[in-house]
Amino acid sequence: MWLTEANFDEEVFNSKIPVLVDFWGSWCIPSQMMKPIIDKLSEEYDGRVKVGKINVDQNPGVRAKCKVLGCPTIIIFKDSKEVIRKVGAQSDNQLRELIELAVLKG
Amino acid sequence: MHNSNCTCWNCPAIDLAGKVDFRACGQSAEKFEKNIDEDGSSQVMAECKRRPELGLFDPMAITFEQCSEWRETPYGYLLKDMRVMILGIDGYLGWTLALWLAKLGCKVSGVDNYSRRDWVKERGAHTVVPIARMSERLHAAKEVLGIEINFRQIDILNERGRLKEFIDEVKPEVIVHYGECPSAPYSMIDVDHAIAVQRNNVLGTLGVLFIMRDVVPESSLIKLGTMGEYGTPLTGRPLFEGMFPADAVLKWDNREWSLGGELTPRDPVSFYHVSKVQDTYNTVEACKYWWLRSYDVMQGVIYGVHTDQVSRDPRLRTRLDIDEWFGTVINRFVAQAVIGLPLTLYGAGEQIRGFIPLEDAMQCMTRLIAFPPEPGQYAVVNQMSGYYSLRELAETVARVGKDGFNLAVKIQRLENPRVESERHPFEPIYENLSKRYGFKPKVTLEGEIYRMFELLMQPEIKRRIEEKKHHIIPKTWWSGEKRQVETIEVLEPGSQMKMEEEKSVAHRG
Repeated sequence: MWLTEANFDEEVFNSKIPVLVDFWGSWCIPSQMMKPIIDKLSEEYDGRVKVGKINVDQNPGVRAKCKVLGCPTIIIFKDSKEVIRKVGAQSDNQLRELIELAVLKG
Repeated sequence: MHNSNCTCWNCPAIDLAGKVDFRACGQSAEKFEKNIDEDGSSQVMAECKRRPELGLFDPMAITFEQCSEWRETPYGYLLKDMRVMILGIDGYLGWTLALWLAKLGCKVSGVDNYSRRDWVKERGAHTVVPIARMSERLHAAKEVLGIEINFRQIDILNERGRLKEFIDEVKPEVIVHYGECPSAPYSMIDVDHAIAVQRNNVLGTLGVLFIMRDVVPESSLIKLGTMGEYGTPLTGRPLFEGMFPADAVLKWDNREWSLGGELTPRDPVSFYHVSKVQDTYNTVEACKYWWLRSYDVMQGVIYGVHTDQVSRDPRLRTRLDIDEWFGTVINRFVAQAVIGLPLTLYGAGEQIRGFIPLEDAMQCMTRLIAFPPEPGQYAVVNQMSGYYSLRELAETVARVGKDGFNLAVKIQRLENPRVESERHPFEPIYENLSKRYGFKPKVTLEGEIYRMFELLMQPEIKRRIEEKKHHIIPKTWWSGEKRQVETIEVLEPGSQMKMEEEKSVAHRG
């Protein structure tokens, strides 16, 4: 799912299920290479965990609000709150572990 | 169309300078946050250099499909009168692409210092397909195809000031960088040639990157790399498109990391290939520091003679080299077959490489031009349409020569003057061009070889091959030895090689 300044609050902070957000930039090669696995996980967790991506340059307000200082940054939100943050490229298995951790913890 | 949904964010006509706060990984964001409203909202606004009447607007709001400046073509939406500058426009690829793009409606400009003509002349060789002087080429392009090409003779390494002036004058929206020396053996002749190739390629490209930063930061740089940058790693791991995907992992000490986005290790196989690897790194850094946009095209070995434009008139033909320095393998095989020389394999002849015919390569470049990278994006495509062992290729050339032209073609194995693996795993990944950019190969291997025979069998060209046939067998040893390579064996097409026989004997034993 593509997130933007316009839908971020609704899709992330008002979400009934946990949300994994990939903050990415076109200048960041690891970000580029994570796109396919973010899409894959979005399908895999459909209905259980929302998986979205947001471009940090096109959406500087969200970038500032979430205090994102580098790309790629992965944040998992649950019940309107940030529960896990990871900076740097992650494999699909590492992201699955993060999701399980976030969901179980809550 | 594969690029319908791209927006002004990708478009070289957008002016983002000073309007969008880009920052690379780890750069502090604090100073930018003053632009954001108290409620946390902000909107990115930019201007269009082609449509100033739009004023400040949201660059993600207009797609290529919606914009009146982008026109439908067989290769996707393409910017109307797109300004394309080709560095190395006099070369095999540069000239072919210039005619192709101009015919498609692009405003083509180009620079060259004729160094390819000079290098080939210095070796005592020549292009077997005769090519006209640049002034005559430009005249014929206008007369036959009705296109104008804005050419200037500039050495990109030694005349950086003039190149900058020309780029500033033309304001290209895309720069295609073919302005490099493309020969491994030429770089291995001696120290002077190795230094000349590395200087020309590495420092020439570095200069281009600085000029782009200063003059046309929103233009895309489509730079020619080579599949040879990767080499043939004996681990057998796939040759990814430049970088590891995020689900490639490094496992060590019971821990695991994603390799996503790290450049894959390079294993260049000559001092020329080393220069291409350094270009890759310089371009990555320029994109990172200055948000330049670049596609790095890791091209397989190119072959062929045909596009609709170059075949229209003898004065529009592109060059074709068959000598040991500048002749690529299929081009050389066909030339050998035409004059009755055995096709030469180096060593085992089981080396495997990726290949692409000239016309398909032009299609790929056009598709990349039509889909400009995003700000700061450095992306790699492996540009090839198939991969074959050299022995397979020799067999194919022999078959087409026999069936189509009644030629009795032999194959010979020579000592290998290069230092390279002669038997190796090879698993290239080449999906980006078809998946993302809509590339569909149009030309078959046999079809293009057939067209090459048709052209090279013409008496004048055949005579030109005969004239320089002594430059086909390699004399340039990677080791520095100075002697002719010796023949190991001569084979009939389809027969077993000596070592294959030995292998099977050993197996039976």
